[in-house]
Amino acid sequence: MTLDRVVWSMLQEALAVYRDSPRATAWLRSHLERYTEPVRIAVAGRSRIGKSTVVNALIGDEFVPLSSFTWYRGGTEPRAHVFSGPGRPHEVAVGRRGHRHHVEIGQIDRADRVVVEWPARTLRDIVLIDTPSEASPEQVLGEADALLYLMRHVQDDDLKFLQAANDHPIARTAAIHTVAVLARADEIGAGRIDALSSAKQIARRYRRDVAVQPLCQNVVSVAGLLAVAARTLREDEFAALRTLSSLGREELEDNLLSADRFVGEQFPLQMEPAVRQALLERFGIFGVRLITALIRQGFDTQVKLTGQLVQRSGLGELRDSIAIHFTERREVLKARSALLALDVLFRMEPRQNARKLMADLERVVASAHDFRELRLVAALQSGRTKLPGDLQTEALRLIGAEGTNPLVRLGFDYEADTREQREALLDALVRWQAQAADVHAPHDQRKAAQIVVRTCEGLLPQLR
Amino acid sequence: MAPPWLDVLDETIGACITHRRPDLEARLREKRAQQLDPKLRVLVVGESKQGKSQLVNALLNAPVCAVGDDITTTVPTFVQHADTPSAALVRNASARGSIFHTPTERIAVPIEQVTKQATAQHVVRAEIGIPRALLDSGLVLIDTPGVGDTRSAHTASTFATLMQADAVLLVSDATGELTSAEMTLLKKVMEACPNVTVVVTKIDLVPSWRSVVERNKALLARAGVPAKLIPVSSALRLRAAKTGDQRLNTESGFPELLACVQRDIVASADLLARRAVAVVASSAISQLVTPLREELTEHDSSRTVATISTLQEAQRRVDELRRRSARWQNVLNDEMADLISDVEYDLRDRTRKILREVDRTYDEADPAIGWDKFEQWLEDNLNEAATTNFAWLMERAEWVAAKVAKNFPVYREDLIPGSVLPDDLLEPASKLEKPKIEPFSIPQKLFTGLRGSYGGVLMFGLVTSLAGMPLINVISLGAGALFGGKSILDESDQRLKRRQAAAKAAAQRHVDDFFVKFSKDVRDSGRHIQRSLRNHFSTLAEELQETLLESARSAKRAVQDDQTERERRLREGRKELDKLVTLYKRVQTLGGPAMELTA
Repeated sequence: MTLDRVVWSMLQEALAVYRDSPRATAWLRSHLERYTEPVRIAVAGRSRIGKSTVVNALIGDEFVPLSSFTWYRGGTEPRAHVFSGPGRPHEVAVGRRGHRHHVEIGQIDRADRVVVEWPARTLRDIVLIDTPSEASPEQVLGEADALLYLMRHVQDDDLKFLQAANDHPIARTAAIHTVAVLARADEIGAGRIDALSSAKQIARRYRRDVAVQPLCQNVVSVAGLLAVAARTLREDEFAALRTLSSLGREELEDNLLSADRFVGEQFPLQMEPAVRQALLERFGIFGVRLITALIRQGFDTQVKLTGQLVQRSGLGELRDSIAIHFTERREVLKARSALLALDVLFRMEPRQNARKLMADLERVVASAHDFRELRLVAALQSGRTKLPGDLQTEALRLIGAEGTNPLVRLGFDYEADTREQREALLDALVRWQAQAADVHAPHDQRKAAQIVVRTCEGLLPQLR
Repeated sequence: MAPPWLDVLDETIGACITHRRPDLEARLREKRAQQLDPKLRVLVVGESKQGKSQLVNALLNAPVCAVGDDITTTVPTFVQHADTPSAALVRNASARGSIFHTPTERIAVPIEQVTKQATAQHVVRAEIGIPRALLDSGLVLIDTPGVGDTRSAHTASTFATLMQADAVLLVSDATGELTSAEMTLLKKVMEACPNVTVVVTKIDLVPSWRSVVERNKALLARAGVPAKLIPVSSALRLRAAKTGDQRLNTESGFPELLACVQRDIVASADLLARRAVAVVASSAISQLVTPLREELTEHDSSRTVATISTLQEAQRRVDELRRRSARWQNVLNDEMADLISDVEYDLRDRTRKILREVDRTYDEADPAIGWDKFEQWLEDNLNEAATTNFAWLMERAEWVAAKVAKNFPVYREDLIPGSVLPDDLLEPASKLEKPKIEPFSIPQKLFTGLRGSYGGVLMFGLVTSLAGMPLINVISLGAGALFGGKSILDESDQRLKRRQAAAKAAAQRHVDDFFVKFSKDVRDSGRHIQRSLRNHFSTLAEELQETLLESARSAKRAVQDDQTERERRLREGRKELDKLVTLYKRVQTLGGPAMELTA
């Protein structure tokens, strides 16, 4: 039985055991419901780090940020509900404020939760939760299956938050739910034109950092404003930017030296200061610099420019990361959340007849192959377990560190047909079996090889 | 003339020596040496990636400090004036290994090398010298690694450098207002060095930097930090330097910062020194005052409490002894009365048993035969009874002694007396008198036989004479013999009875004598024991009482002594405290207002 079926049946069983406790039943029902939903991703970080900006960039629409937990989930038409205290949620309108959407929560100052249903492609596979910066790790992770953690440079506070996120014993055995984001990548590079590639390098360094690596699956850098711009660039803005780039390079550079200069009175072009101010607010000084440079380089249509911006802003990488680490691992993430929920339940309301379920829980956590794979990924990446030479990279690929698709696991960079994949898989299987049986290898290496072999065997039926 | 702060500082150092605080003394001496040094150290601190190194570069218009998008600065970099540009790495606190000295044109290269080398182990700081008018007056700019970085060694070195700073530029970029971590850092910095200027960098990047500056000002005001706030843009400044654009330079905000550095740091070195000394000295004095004050309050409480409690304890023990001594006497009297009556009863019981035995014996036996043996037996039995009884008495007496001892409030080795027995105890009782025994001699027997036979002969002679026989005939003679024999038998029986009675009476008398004598002895010994026990224990009690009273008296004296001693020390402590407070007030007048300190 696969992990998600096992966990599903455990939830059902728990429902039967706890049928006389209303609180437990409500808890389990909510988790059963959650089990079938898309992955819930919380976006967290310090204040003013750009959480809402990243959420907007992912959705592809701009929302006025709210001061409470804001959920964005897929829907056929725009709708919003406010959950405040006990009682039923009530629906509120989604209006517009300038070019941005605004959820009219009105006089309700502190809602517990605002749920926005929005027709966006991204939201088909995920539910995004924008969190207030003062929320504690427990609050953030209580409802979420996965976490996007935003930071500028890794500071002690950030590490503390991530450690708190990994504090639970079950969370530790399956530390699979975090992607760290170096937000404001443009500011990291002090607004220079090459700021983004510099930020990417820093992200790469953190990926290898021993302090950071065990706490998250990946580190990516994103320039939030640029990413939003890429998704929501409007005709008039594009036109204005084109006009700007028509200016001589030197002259434009001079005027882009500082924000003050750009919106100042002595601007060589016939352009309203208000327009310039709006551009600055939307794209930042770095955004304006980069976009004008790109237009000058020949990305002079809106489509071309948008493509470039998505790639350069790091939004593409972020989306890939979400896909590889969260969407593709939906079952595991959901199973993990459900197991955590069951653990909470067993602790809160221990019962004699839940003994078997508690034992099951422990067994699943300890033995589920998906968790084992993830633990091995963590062990290999943190250097706790080392494999000789190329075996390390191959093992990481096979157990799904780069993606769980068979093609990715087997290392094909093109659409290989089933036969080809099968051959590659059998080849890998034989080699890893030999590795697992190698009596000279240290114990942990053989253990690791056994897990890889088990993975390969699991892939075989898919390639018939 | 020595500046006024020097006197104060020296006095504070003196106070530290008097109060035996070499650690504070060392710190103050360091500060003193540093203040006497004409160099002015300006520390540039802040969280990582706020643009600290770039700020230093822009201030000097030279790329002396390495800047980068990732964590770049790993050791403090000291930039000071030199006639020819030079750079050096300091490897250890002691060993200063100068790696290279190079002329101006190649300044970019060595600086890069400095940064590269600086990441090597054991490098404590980098030192760079360049010819700049700004640094002419002895200004030293110190670029520090970012605070709050994950690699805590960086942070530690920053705080170590902080102790040497005369003034501090706290750098925070304009992309956000001061975070709580930065406010904490600011307060920490203020403790070590009060001359702080907050520099808001990167204003070129942020359109809304003015509102950030306003919010920062509000934050500082709310926290009560009297620090100046200057917005700058290093990028604009460096660019202006490259192009020689004055207007851009003004825009960068650096003229204001430089003026501020000139006015507030270079020109007012004396004020800075006074302020710095004030902070350091007042923190040292506070540390001296705290234990002193505690000691003063301590005097009132703990030590006196200890002596008084000793006194109370002593008095309590005296009372206890009194109470118990009444008790032990009662115990002794009761127990001894019990003991004597028990022993007497036991003795009577034993002698009775002996008498019954004697009676039984002389119901049957003839005292005439084996009297000596009987006498021996009786003597033995009586002796045994006496010994057993007496042994019992001794045992009980010891038990009583132990019981009394138990009622004593203290335990001592000699609590139970070694011997309570009178020495001359058992005098032998009088000899057993031999009863008078009448022997039954042959003539007496003959006489008695004849007397008995006479009747028989006569009786049967008369009867037979009727039958014509003579008076004396065979029959009458036979009867006479029979009667005679009977008479003899009767007589001897009666005599035996008499003898037995006499023997019994003699034994009875003897046992009575023995009893009277011995019971008297037992009573005497009992009383003797009681008396000696009483003497023993009352001596002990007296000794004990004397000891306790003595300790109570000495405790009382100690309390009185303590009071005097305490008052003396209190006076001294107050004097010391007053002195320190005066010193503190003088320190306070050096630089601005600070926290209140009262005696």
